[in-house]
Amino acid sequence: MSKPVNTVVVVGGGTAGWLTAGLLAAEHQPLQKSGPRIVLVESPDVASIGVGEGTWPTMRTSLQTMGISETDFIRRCDASFKQGTRFAGWLDGRDESYYHPFALPQRFHEIDLARHWQPLREKISYANAVTPQTMACDHALAPKQITTPEFASNLNYGYHLDAGKFAKFLEEHCVGKLGVTHILDNVVAVNAADNGDIKSLSTRSSGTIDGDLFIDCTGFAALLIGGHYGIPFCSKQDYLFNDRALAVQVPRSSPHETIASTTLSTAQRAGWIWDIALPARRGIGYVFSSAHTDDDEAEADLRRYIASTAGDAASESCSPRKITFNPGHREKLWHRNCVAVGLSGGFVEPLEASALVMIELSAKMLSEQLPANRSVMDIVAKRFNDKFLYDWHRIIEFLKLHYVLSRRDDTDYWRDNRDAKTIPSDLQESLELWRFQSPRYQDLSHVDELFPAASYRYVLYGMNFETEGPDERRRSDIATRATAEGLFSDNIRRTTQLLKALPTNRELIGKIHEFGFQKI
Amino acid sequence: MANKHVLLNNVDHHNIKIITERSARYGDDVSFVMTFPLEFRRIQSCYPIFFRKDANTGNFSPIALFGFEPRENLYLSDDGWDAQYVPLMIQRQPFLIGLQRVEGEGDATKPVVSIDINSPRVNESEGEALFLEHGGTSDYLAAMTELLETIRLADEMNTDFVDALLKLDLIEAVTMQVELKDGSKHEMLGYYTINEEKLDALDSETLGELHGHHYLDSIYMILASLSCFRTLVQKKNDQLSAQ
Repeated sequence: MSKPVNTVVVVGGGTAGWLTAGLLAAEHQPLQKSGPRIVLVESPDVASIGVGEGTWPTMRTSLQTMGISETDFIRRCDASFKQGTRFAGWLDGRDESYYHPFALPQRFHEIDLARHWQPLREKISYANAVTPQTMACDHALAPKQITTPEFASNLNYGYHLDAGKFAKFLEEHCVGKLGVTHILDNVVAVNAADNGDIKSLSTRSSGTIDGDLFIDCTGFAALLIGGHYGIPFCSKQDYLFNDRALAVQVPRSSPHETIASTTLSTAQRAGWIWDIALPARRGIGYVFSSAHTDDDEAEADLRRYIASTAGDAASESCSPRKITFNPGHREKLWHRNCVAVGLSGGFVEPLEASALVMIELSAKMLSEQLPANRSVMDIVAKRFNDKFLYDWHRIIEFLKLHYVLSRRDDTDYWRDNRDAKTIPSDLQESLELWRFQSPRYQDLSHVDELFPAASYRYVLYGMNFETEGPDERRRSDIATRATAEGLFSDNIRRTTQLLKALPTNRELIGKIHEFGFQKI
Repeated sequence: MANKHVLLNNVDHHNIKIITERSARYGDDVSFVMTFPLEFRRIQSCYPIFFRKDANTGNFSPIALFGFEPRENLYLSDDGWDAQYVPLMIQRQPFLIGLQRVEGEGDATKPVVSIDINSPRVNESEGEALFLEHGGTSDYLAAMTELLETIRLADEMNTDFVDALLKLDLIEAVTMQVELKDGSKHEMLGYYTINEEKLDALDSETLGELHGHHYLDSIYMILASLSCFRTLVQKKNDQLSAQ
């Protein structure tokens, strides 16, 4: 009989490790009689990289699955609400900006509003025409009220959070409530079984840890998938140039400062700056291409940005932390009985906050399809690899889309980004097609696409891309026109209502700290 | 006029009288008020009891319902308040009880009575006097002070009651669809009631605990009160026919 999977060993105690352990434990219940063991080994000497601070709405489901209270999470992780990303200076490098909000356009699956919006493009932005969310973000409003039950929403949302606090919070929950075994020790050797699987890990002072499945959450170190198995890394730098980041934390100058509702991404000469709004601080960083600028110049640009948004004192007193990375992913993510989740599997610039969501999706699939025994593991592994390599492919293409539509001509960085050699051929084809029809779900081959057609539309039309409008000779265009007009005026009405009803992020966070959300 | 609550004192407010008549004119045109387990027995015979969330805190409180739309009170008529019992939170108008920090005693607080001097009930010519001509408080004010103290204690008990129910998942959202005689349909959102299924599934030990706190009585009184919802619809239909 094939060996059952009784012990899952997660290596690494950052966000990836704890999220994976937590989601696995929530489903497979180590505390139940005959439940599997879920062990997390964490080195006491390795600091977590801790810059994954923007989530997708998926995080709400992940927290709920683990049985976490939203009130506790927001209070403990210095979290705030994120309703999308605002891209500033991407089109012309001036003051212009556009949103990629989390809310889908109204009745997205029934009607192609983008097509009917084309004739209105001079009057109203695409996003403002199809969702109330972007206007709410203009006013730094929260996506819900204090009377809204936890995890429910008026407008779709994810979070901004303090990654260090989040990992600690998850650790407590995983160990205290979900029965994850926590071993604080350094892994000194990876021991192979005769068949080439990983048999066990040797630790400095906790002996040998046996396992049936090993999850590599060791960050860039990639101790198991890279160090032990040597699975090659596929660099995607030909498409996505950014390979360095300088990150800082800027404290709030006053407890009343506005908390933005979106991640702000401001285009620079050789990359872009993220600006993540937490209640107590902002997380700011410049991610750039080392081929197009150097560290000193990038640091000067970053300090200039901080000076202009938080003052000279904040700019002078901060000390940026440098992160170097190779954009791309492993050739495969699941090899034998070892799965890479998080940075060990791959990393690209956080332009669409894909890092945490990829961890959640990996952990979700792992927990839904945890192989019952060794003999079916290879089947699950193959499917896992197919799915996530496809997702990586789509992430790279979607991120590249943000660059190819820019008209910036001030640096080689922007010109090189539009060079056909640096654009994936699928994307080139799609762009050709999208001149005549809006991105739709048929363009994308999987049902559970990471970025739905709605996301492509927000970016395309936010960047002034032109698609042909309704055609008088087409039945469907004529048939849906009245509905579309109804939905556009509906959206104005809903926007007005929500702008009146919703508190600011700052107000709502204050109330959550004081009163908390109700569960119903 | 906006409410303006000031601490009640026998100097500034010596000549004030309070109109005790019930009327929309005096601010009784509200569609619900907070209620408390200690008056549930009397409330449930006249009004349906639900839970609602406070708009400012999101916290649940039991309420007695009077109407279907904002400011609709179907118990108000030209002759006053048409019910056997008037809820404490209506009776208390225009007074409020609050806690004031006692100076020099750290966190110690004492209850104090405030009055909404902008209330249309407040005047110097008609109604009940607060203070006696030659000093001392009137029987009316003494009774109101006692009522306010009751409210203060009842409010603290409300918090414990609601917490106990939430802990056992006994509160659930309810959407009421009302169809009136004139064919109009109303959907009432934001109301919560007791989850009877969960209540029925409680083990005897938990039921014993609820009983020990006198919560079980209150729970059944809420369920019993729901028959008054029909009374409310009837009142609304009567009003429509009269028009």
